[in-house]
Amino acid sequence: MDDIDRKILNRIQSRFPITPRPFLTIADELGLTEKEVISRTVHLKNSGIIRRIGANFVPGKLGFVSTLCAAKVPEEYVERFAEVVNRFPGVTHNYLRDNAFNVWFTFIAPSREEIEKNLQKIAEETGIEKILNLPATKVFKIKAKFAV
Amino acid sequence: MELTELQQKIIASVQQDIPLVSAPYATIAAELGVSEERLLKELQALCDRGVIRRFGATLRHQKSGYGANAMAAWQVDEDRIEEVGRKMASFPAVSHCYRRNPTDQWPYNLYTMIHAADEESCRQTARSMAEAAGLETYTLLFSVRELKKTSMQYFSTDDDD
Repeated sequence: MDDIDRKILNRIQSRFPITPRPFLTIADELGLTEKEVISRTVHLKNSGIIRRIGANFVPGKLGFVSTLCAAKVPEEYVERFAEVVNRFPGVTHNYLRDNAFNVWFTFIAPSREEIEKNLQKIAEETGIEKILNLPATKVFKIKAKFAV
Repeated sequence: MELTELQQKIIASVQQDIPLVSAPYATIAAELGVSEERLLKELQALCDRGVIRRFGATLRHQKSGYGANAMAAWQVDEDRIEEVGRKMASFPAVSHCYRRNPTDQWPYNLYTMIHAADEESCRQTARSMAEAAGLETYTLLFSVRELKKTSMQYFSTDDDD
């Protein structure tokens, strides 16, 4: 990754142009050619630095709710537990963390009731009863971009 | 919020990867069977209405200089939560800051995601945040392993090809 790649990454993380030729718009802003912006972006995508280029939504504006859940899972059972939890499409992030509550996952669904019902299913299928359900009651920040 | 069928189709499309070509919206519009002009108009409206929170690239943190992330969970007096939440949010290393209800088993009510080059930098940031907010009770949870990371698939259909 060189300075031009960094310039491109810092530009395209938010407000990606909604214009017929978005890469040309970016190229003009950064003093590059459209072709170079596209080929570098493809390369950054293929090398895994860019996970995805697209839209991120506010779940509430689409009629969905989201929450953060945490479970206490014995170490040797983490794989199996994650397999059950990750099967739900509404589980978008799941991390093993260094705490007694060690498995932390986010859950998006059309309603709170559906999330509760699914957590109940997970508890029944895995025998892990202690699952915290911690919906956000106030958002102070969701960061738009990371300087690279 | 009412969403038209077209809006739902657009959302289902742009929640995926947009094609990395000269005229990506023309490609998407053709797939959806609408004009490019209409698609651009609808997309801009979804941004303006705040339905789309962010439109652009999502990076893999580990590969872009942010090797460590910690979730800091804080215990904050409720009458200070606004002030402290805003203060925590002002730290550049903090990507997310939320208030959540505490529970019997988990007494924390403010959550911040801290991203940095390594674990020590995360710890240092958390110490600065604690000091700035005058807080003593918090816990840092480092991510040991990513078990899943995807984007939510809204309004997607199983049989759309």
